[in-house]
Amino acid sequence: MSIRSEPLAAIGRFPRRSASVGVWLDRQSVFSWLMMAPPLLFLAALVGYPLCYGILLSLQDRPVAHPGTFVGLKNFATNANDPIFWRVVFNTFFYTAVATLLKMVGGLALALAMNQQFPLKNLVRALLLLPFIVPTVLSTVAWMWILDPAFSVLNWLLVALGVPKPGPSWLGNPILAMLSIILINTWRGLPYYGITLLAGLQTVPPELYEAATIDGAGGWQRFRYVTLPLLRPIILIVTLFSVIFTFADFQLVYVLTHGGPQNATQLFATYAFDIAMGAGQLGLGASVALAMLPALALLIVALTIYLRRG
Amino acid sequence: MNTTSRRRFLQLAGLGAVGTAIGPRSPSAETKSLTLLHESSFIKTYDEYFQKTLAPAYERETGVKVNYELTSVGSLPTRITTISETGSGADVTATFFLLPFLFDEKLLDVSDIADEIGKKQGGWYDAAKEAAVVNGKWKTIPFSNIGQLMNWRTDWFAEVGFKQFPETWDELYEAGKKLKANDHPFGFELGHGFGDNHGWLYPLLWSYGGAEVDPDGKTVVIDSDETARAIDFARKFFRDTMFEDVLGWTDPSNNKAWYAEQISCTNNAESILWLAKRDFPDIAKVTDQAQNPAGPKGRFHIMSAVSHAIFDFSPQKEQARAFLRWLMDEKQLGGWYASADTYYQPLLHGYDNAPMWQEEPRNIPYRDSLANAHLVGWPAPPSRHSAESVAKYVVVDMFAKACTGTSTKEVIKSAEVQLKEIYRAV
Repeated sequence: MSIRSEPLAAIGRFPRRSASVGVWLDRQSVFSWLMMAPPLLFLAALVGYPLCYGILLSLQDRPVAHPGTFVGLKNFATNANDPIFWRVVFNTFFYTAVATLLKMVGGLALALAMNQQFPLKNLVRALLLLPFIVPTVLSTVAWMWILDPAFSVLNWLLVALGVPKPGPSWLGNPILAMLSIILINTWRGLPYYGITLLAGLQTVPPELYEAATIDGAGGWQRFRYVTLPLLRPIILIVTLFSVIFTFADFQLVYVLTHGGPQNATQLFATYAFDIAMGAGQLGLGASVALAMLPALALLIVALTIYLRRG
Repeated sequence: MNTTSRRRFLQLAGLGAVGTAIGPRSPSAETKSLTLLHESSFIKTYDEYFQKTLAPAYERETGVKVNYELTSVGSLPTRITTISETGSGADVTATFFLLPFLFDEKLLDVSDIADEIGKKQGGWYDAAKEAAVVNGKWKTIPFSNIGQLMNWRTDWFAEVGFKQFPETWDELYEAGKKLKANDHPFGFELGHGFGDNHGWLYPLLWSYGGAEVDPDGKTVVIDSDETARAIDFARKFFRDTMFEDVLGWTDPSNNKAWYAEQISCTNNAESILWLAKRDFPDIAKVTDQAQNPAGPKGRFHIMSAVSHAIFDFSPQKEQARAFLRWLMDEKQLGGWYASADTYYQPLLHGYDNAPMWQEEPRNIPYRDSLANAHLVGWPAPPSRHSAESVAKYVVVDMFAKACTGTSTKEVIKSAEVQLKEIYRAV
């Protein structure tokens, strides 16, 4: 048996036959919905249902393994009175903003460098994807060793350069701990930015650069007035995805610091997990997780509007 | 050659998939089996003993196959939550810490089994009752405690004049100052781990007379002179005996530091010595273990009991009960305990003088610590509120913030605000 494409004319024809399932399935309106149904069901089951269930949970006092009671917005009020919750809000926004900015700038630089001609270009491009490909838990464990006080290769280097022993406490100092998770997130996310922007760079027609050069544009001007405007839609899309992933980051913090020291690296996802799974307060945990939603939704709407206007 | 349009192919494939999904299934033979959920043990021989000795023995005797389902360290609460919420999964589960109190409504009353076992095997420790009895009913059968005690380097302590482990926190502080000066600092976890932080901070608080909540389970009493004295001690203890990294430590950190010979004293389970004997024999020779030091109000330890509970939605409740009776019989129990040396300290007095204690006398303090071991949140009764306090690291962060320079008054106030919010609904 072989499969062939049906001619367009055939698709539009509805021959008069006795009403059969085959004819009914052949109708354009039925067939298109049939094809749409699996992804729609998939989305409804894996995104729609958990979201609705999460909203329902957040409005309940719902200890694990016990029936819930409707409490309205009480869980959100509890969060508003919780000093750790506000620390989590600050941490998450700071972490997302700094890591995204670093990934954006670094990714663009990486893409520009990768767009040049050099030996073993394809191999280097493939290797660059490694941090993104390696499972986060695995790479985080490697970073745990890199930042460990006793075995830190980083501190070994710093001490060799004259920093007093034992060197900085990367995960014990609250500020350095936050910087450490930003650094690791940037390291992990940079290839995603780099490779996507590289794909964008390769779609820029060389004639535009030639025309700009003839008009007297220098390197910076070619970048500013040719490359950047053409890359803008891609940068926005990549940023949108990156913000969502970074905002909801869990594995990195959970493995490396578990939100410590003193909640200095606690993010929405890790805090919600601790409350829901550690304390068994499913309603309160859901309310913490849902607190991410308005900020993310606003950001997505704003970026989408900006993109359409552009 | 037959040709089929792409559209026709998709239609047929779709119908085929639906048919496969809803069509009749071939009958499969029903096998008698039970599933026991456990967290992977740090002591590998313990899991192996169940898999290779106990499970086959039970199958031979009863024809019931026991599936020993292992979940990774730290993930047991998540797994039990999933099983409880969906009403399907394991029949019997290990529980620890405050889990019996969170999941009590989904656990079968096993008071009759607990009574039988207690009567046969010398009676239960009080600590066992504290860990397993919820609203007057045994909701889980205590198996053991995994004590958190002091692990210390005998050679380095001797260098600063301590042949025995110090009796009090103040004496330990004096030893620690000298040891840090000798480049052998202490390493006690002050970060967000699962157990090595609570393991010494709650006992420290209690030994100074402090507590989070009154025994009535409602009144927050953290703001006291006793708490303030414990915090003041912890601040100088950290400053003069430790190093900054402990503030960010999680549970594996102190073990790594121990085997790297970076620290001279820590608070951990017996596994630190067990693993040293296997992989670092030279370090094992100079490792000893001791009960926690005493404070002005006595000596305390954390209770970290492992127990076995039956889910009330299990379709095989009676089989599960029979299995627990068999498992907790001394014929089985003695061998399982011995397979892990004494990492799992029995909660039945019948094992107080079991031969396994003579195998490694350095473990005996773990047995003796049961006399004054309590669950986190003590003296308040265990509850979802005490679990929330633990999950939010209220006590751990109170001490940790003080160690980073925040005033005693401020850290207590901050903890009090959190605890009042947590216990407001009581």
